[in-house]
Amino acid sequence: MVIITKDTELGTYLPPVSRQLRLEIFKKGDEKTIHTDEEAARREGLPAPVAVGPQVAAVIFKMMLMCFGEGWIKGGKWDLTFRRPTYVNDFVTAKGMVKAKILEGEAIRVECDVWVEKQDGEKVIVGTASGLVPRGD
Amino acid sequence: MTGEGKARVLRDEKGERAKFEDIEVGKDLGSLEWIITQEMIDAQCLMDEDYHEWYKIDSPFGGVIAPPQITYRPPRWLLSRTYNVRGLFYKWQMENLAPIKPNEKIIISARIVDKWIKNNREYISYEAVGVNEAGEELFRTRRTHVLDYIERTAPRTGVGIDSGIKAESI
Repeated sequence: MVIITKDTELGTYLPPVSRQLRLEIFKKGDEKTIHTDEEAARREGLPAPVAVGPQVAAVIFKMMLMCFGEGWIKGGKWDLTFRRPTYVNDFVTAKGMVKAKILEGEAIRVECDVWVEKQDGEKVIVGTASGLVPRGD
Repeated sequence: MTGEGKARVLRDEKGERAKFEDIEVGKDLGSLEWIITQEMIDAQCLMDEDYHEWYKIDSPFGGVIAPPQITYRPPRWLLSRTYNVRGLFYKWQMENLAPIKPNEKIIISARIVDKWIKNNREYISYEAVGVNEAGEELFRTRRTHVLDYIERTAPRTGVGIDSGIKAESI
């Protein structure tokens, strides 16, 4: 089901998508990485293992697929900044808001501000993402 | 906490880390051929905990497709083949130009496009494009990594455990 259409108003909030991170989802075999090992993280100056950025951003991608369907898979764009480390046990939520609609060929590009918040409200990823919707005229 | 008072990593288990001065803007990072399998798609869905029938059963594009973000790793492999960069992921731009399907050969090529210093840290950017055998562009991406979480004025004397050089698998 596609949620965003050509008629969606600017300022509309996207349905949030949450995820409880846990260390196990970042493991690949026995490899000790900054994502799975306290000492490996400390040697890089990090206070604790950090989540893999793309796996945190995954909540944004899930939200965008839900909102745009085919217009995300073919025509979707994102531009994200990982502004703060996310740790392996954080609870993260993707949120977004429609900010612009731009004609693009036979479609309308709906651009959204998107971000990922941690449990304390801190925005760890910020940026924009967009998908295409049919013009329907 | 930003790692003040600590040492940057000079070498890790895979060898000496690339220095900012070593990174050549415009450097061709080469290319690789990649065929996505259903097993890789399943692994990506598990990592992301994002299950969708398009990724497993069927889609409006005629068969199963892969989550677009499955393309994160191959450009990173190309970077690591030339430069041992660990660091942290800072920016990710991506255009999903066409659906990515299993068992389709994708040719991915990449190059270094920029580097700069900001807030006493070193950043590098590289771009990659993925095309199928027919020459159709499937995705375009630009990524930025910060070479060290620790500020660049810290001594580079540390020994790391983790490396930017990884097994080339999803």
